[in-house]
Amino acid sequence: MEQVLNVVFSTAFLAAVLRVSTPLILPALGGLISELGGVINIALEGIMLIAACAGVLVSVWTRSAGLGLLAGLALGTLTSLVLAFFHLNLKADLILAAIALNLLASGGTIFVVYLVTGDKSSTSRLVSGQMPFLRDIIPTIADLPTIGPILNQNILTYAAFVLTAAVAFFLYRTRPGVHLRAVGENPEAARSVGIDVRRMQYLALILSGALAALGGVYLSMGYVKFFARDMTGGRGFIALAAIYLGARHPLGVLVAALVFGAAEALAIQLGNLRVPTQLVQIIPYAATIIALVLYAIAQRQRVAARQRKFRQAA
Amino acid sequence: MSTEPLIVAMRQIVKVYPNGLRANDHVTFEVRPREIHALVGENGAGKSTLMKILYGLEKPTAGAIYLRDQLVHIDSPHTAIALGIGMVHQNFMLVPSFTIAENVVLGAEPLRGGVLDRKAAIAITRELSRRYGLEVDPEATVDAVPVGVRQRVEILKALYRGAEILILDEPTAVLTPQETQELFAAIRQLVDNGKTVIFISHKLREVKEISDRVSVMRNARMVDTVETASVSEEQIARMMVGREVFLQVHKPPLQRGEPVLQVRDLEYVSDAGVEVLKRVSFNVYAGEILGIAGVEGNGQTELVEVIAGLRRAVSGCVLLGGVDITRASPRQVRRAGAAHIPEDRLTNGVALSATIAENLIVDRFEQPPFTRGLLMQPRHIAQHAERLIEQFAIRAPSAELQVGMLSGGNMQKVVLARELSARPKLLIAAQPTRGVDIGASEFIYDQLVRARNDGVAVLLVSADLSEVMALSDRIAVMKDGRLTAIFSNTPHLSEEEIGYYMLGVKHMSAEEIAANW
Amino acid sequence: MMQTAAPIAFDREAARRAVLAERRRSALIDLGVTLSTIGVALLMGFVAVALLGKNPFVAYEALLTGPLTRLGRTGRWLELATNLILVGLGVSIAFRARQFSLGGQGQMVAGALIAALVAIYVPLPPVLGVVVPVAVAMAVGFLLGLLPGLMKAHLNANEIVSTLMLNAIVLRLYDYVLTYFLKPEGSSTTRSLPVQPTARLPTFTELLGVDLGRFNLGVVFVVLAVVGVWVLLERTPFGYTIRMIGANEQFARYGGINTRRTIALAFAAGGAVSALAGAHLLLGVHGRLFLDFVANIGWDGITVALLARNHPLVVPLSGLFYAYLLVGGDRVEQQAQVGSELVQVIQAVIVLLITAQVLGDWIRARRSRAIPSQEG
Repeated sequence: MEQVLNVVFSTAFLAAVLRVSTPLILPALGGLISELGGVINIALEGIMLIAACAGVLVSVWTRSAGLGLLAGLALGTLTSLVLAFFHLNLKADLILAAIALNLLASGGTIFVVYLVTGDKSSTSRLVSGQMPFLRDIIPTIADLPTIGPILNQNILTYAAFVLTAAVAFFLYRTRPGVHLRAVGENPEAARSVGIDVRRMQYLALILSGALAALGGVYLSMGYVKFFARDMTGGRGFIALAAIYLGARHPLGVLVAALVFGAAEALAIQLGNLRVPTQLVQIIPYAATIIALVLYAIAQRQRVAARQRKFRQAA
Repeated sequence: MSTEPLIVAMRQIVKVYPNGLRANDHVTFEVRPREIHALVGENGAGKSTLMKILYGLEKPTAGAIYLRDQLVHIDSPHTAIALGIGMVHQNFMLVPSFTIAENVVLGAEPLRGGVLDRKAAIAITRELSRRYGLEVDPEATVDAVPVGVRQRVEILKALYRGAEILILDEPTAVLTPQETQELFAAIRQLVDNGKTVIFISHKLREVKEISDRVSVMRNARMVDTVETASVSEEQIARMMVGREVFLQVHKPPLQRGEPVLQVRDLEYVSDAGVEVLKRVSFNVYAGEILGIAGVEGNGQTELVEVIAGLRRAVSGCVLLGGVDITRASPRQVRRAGAAHIPEDRLTNGVALSATIAENLIVDRFEQPPFTRGLLMQPRHIAQHAERLIEQFAIRAPSAELQVGMLSGGNMQKVVLARELSARPKLLIAAQPTRGVDIGASEFIYDQLVRARNDGVAVLLVSADLSEVMALSDRIAVMKDGRLTAIFSNTPHLSEEEIGYYMLGVKHMSAEEIAANW
Repeated sequence: MMQTAAPIAFDREAARRAVLAERRRSALIDLGVTLSTIGVALLMGFVAVALLGKNPFVAYEALLTGPLTRLGRTGRWLELATNLILVGLGVSIAFRARQFSLGGQGQMVAGALIAALVAIYVPLPPVLGVVVPVAVAMAVGFLLGLLPGLMKAHLNANEIVSTLMLNAIVLRLYDYVLTYFLKPEGSSTTRSLPVQPTARLPTFTELLGVDLGRFNLGVVFVVLAVVGVWVLLERTPFGYTIRMIGANEQFARYGGINTRRTIALAFAAGGAVSALAGAHLLLGVHGRLFLDFVANIGWDGITVALLARNHPLVVPLSGLFYAYLLVGGDRVEQQAQVGSELVQVIQAVIVLLITAQVLGDWIRARRSRAIPSQEG
């Protein structure tokens, strides 16, 4: 137990939590936007994978991490656009179309990596770009005692936190954000005041794709410096869970993603201490299921309470 | 006032729907500035169509609309809003988790530096609310406020968009008497501030109370427009229900048996928190048809669905053949001997993508001969379907046809065939002939009377008063979630008399009603 | 008395024939859309291979004839199809009631794990050695399906999220039990002991003396499951309730169907069949557990069910088809190393195009106007 506590309260652990949470926070924010727009994006996983792959390959080709980032963003967003087109224009079922895109991403990225490198497991033989860490910008930062290692994160980790605030601002303080939420909650009401429902849902899916793509780029160009097959490892689905655990609010989603990240970081650290990592990893999933149940029960009790009020009044 | 132009003049409006229904037949409707103008008429009289045309939701087949003597073409609600016309629909168009201020400004939010100006939205809402006496808390979320407040939000939405002419579509249908009074005060204040209000209603007492003039529609035509002060409620009612055609159904004398359905003090509150049924009590006896008359939206739909088990009563009790079915599931209600022709066929009555044969056994699929042991018996299911198709003259080439391929009348016959062949003790028929052609309607009447003659207790709910009068042995009238009268249907009873009860001009005392249970 | 409706004045026999013809036509349109979808997907794969700089004709010859070129490959094809058909059937049950249960993967894993606990450690006589672990696996799959089913039926909790979460939980429990309990002391690879000999489903290689890979007697499960699921859906009252809920849930409730019970049980029944696939994978194919035991089969089952439009009698065809592609992909793998990924891309394109309902509906809508008027 003491060992566990030592691990948890180490600076290395906090730094690790931030590192492993980043590729959860970004897609979770994206998923949140799609969920609030009424078009939940199940294809986050595939979008991350495509962006991770595109980022690495373009950075190799252009020798520019920045262009790699842009390519990842562009392709991830394009994937989301395909999903939006199939669902909103071709009336494809949103869930099934997203499942198809996840398959496409998993097979397609490996295919392309093989096409380029002749190796289908990873691009580790290529010299690919990496997004800068804080140390690369402010060199003295890593030398600071205690907080140095914590602060020395990839700029995409910082971006995740900034984007959380930005997403919250967008959803609650800007006109398109508010329209997007109105569309997700009551499309009829939105339509009656002249809001274009389909356009807002396109926007929701495109933004969710862009955020998930950033998460993907972080994985291959920040967390590590290569693309490996299926390297997202289900993070796109964990991000979906974070939306519900986080009560469908940006701040809640951030906290939920950090909780998932902490569980993963703990699992990695505890692996050395012979504590079963798998059991630690289960906690956030179980918590999500419990949260889902509690949410439903609360919903039901609100209706019952309203009816009871009348019975007592009568 | 005579020199001031009419604010709205709809002249010789004709509206013929693609299916041939003539909803407006050379209707002329004129509204003066700053008046409260009531538009009344029965269901299907054409008033909703007329208002939809004014609000740009429907295009007229012929006729012209003038606003302040200017000819206008209103092709969408967008145009209507730009021309200063606002409409408050019966079902509110609000986003529940948003605050009242957010809902008021939705779609046209005030910005400051490209960012939503929340303070301005709240200030705007507060100012509108103060000026027109529509009291709301701008920062409360819509899902936390009662229906009356939600309605005020809808009105504020229209005002924020610059509405000079407000169309209120049956605004009091969902309100309590207190809320209604508050609404009326607000309407008066709107007029004091230079607005014009068109008030669609069935409630003549309210029309008398609030309006300056009243226009009465009947059978797609405008009967008359009069100064409200110059007519009595009875006179308005006569203009509304005066009818040329009377339906004749022959039925043998009543042989009334034991009470089959007993409803006592039934109360129901909707999920949204609206009290819809208030201490409703009545009996339906074997061998009679009890018709429930009433303007739609007075609780009939909920009454039927509570009895049928589709909604849960808050209090009171329902006995069917002595069995308590108050909070039973639809399955238990059917077990107790009820059959139900639902109001909305497409939602409840049929599964469009399933076959006729499958649709005809939904209430009995587990019973022999359709299921023996663990397995269903397709041969018996098919024979059953063929028999009912024959017996109920359903025009379908095969029992394996999907119900969605049938016409409305034949779909209704599928429902009727299933429900009547269940040999129920109680048959609940809600709007049984809605959307059905005349031939099929007559067939349905015939079947209902035949069931009655066979000793079934029939509870008929219909918005069509002549249908209720033609079929029923007794008639109960529903108004605002209460029964306001129960009559024996004698030849002396006139539609006009029932109309008074439907419109709330008259009502029986609780004792009188109880005597007729 | 009022006049009853006019006697039926139209030729019923002719109309009946017209309806049957229309139904055939509609089925043909479905088939046509499915086949052309597959065609488009294969064509895209063809282009992709050409991009690799390989000869696409050689690659496609391998892809399309692969499973038939050697008996062992045929065996591999049939073995894989066995799994895919079983999961496809499991998935189709809940889908038929319009419930998006994505729990097939987790149910397979759980089924395999539970079956292994019995089959490895409990010595049982022949036949029982197979029957008991299979029964236990199906029971666990049933319960694992029931949980999200109950949550959906009674609390209206999103089944996509709950089944995905359960998949993740089950997978980690599986890893945990395998790593800490099933892995023999001192073993360097993370895998369990083999199952008892009596628990093995004999392979046809052993039975017939020809190399049919690991294609085994588990195929009996497929026959039983296809017939069983068909009977369940088309011939039992329970299946009727599933179909009616799928067609119109409000109608089902109005008609007196206990919709909550049916929805919960539809999830559970699907779970039992998916778990059977997991048991087959253990007892028939691998004989022991290891990490990533189920691979992607649970997900592939969704494609199989979708291709078959959730019809139990068509699932074997789509399962065979898809397994054929997968094995063909393995052949391409030997030339281009990315055969299985190629198949995955083809699969994705097929699913994507099939979900685009608009395609089939357009054709149908234009056709259905030709139906003779049976309207009154």
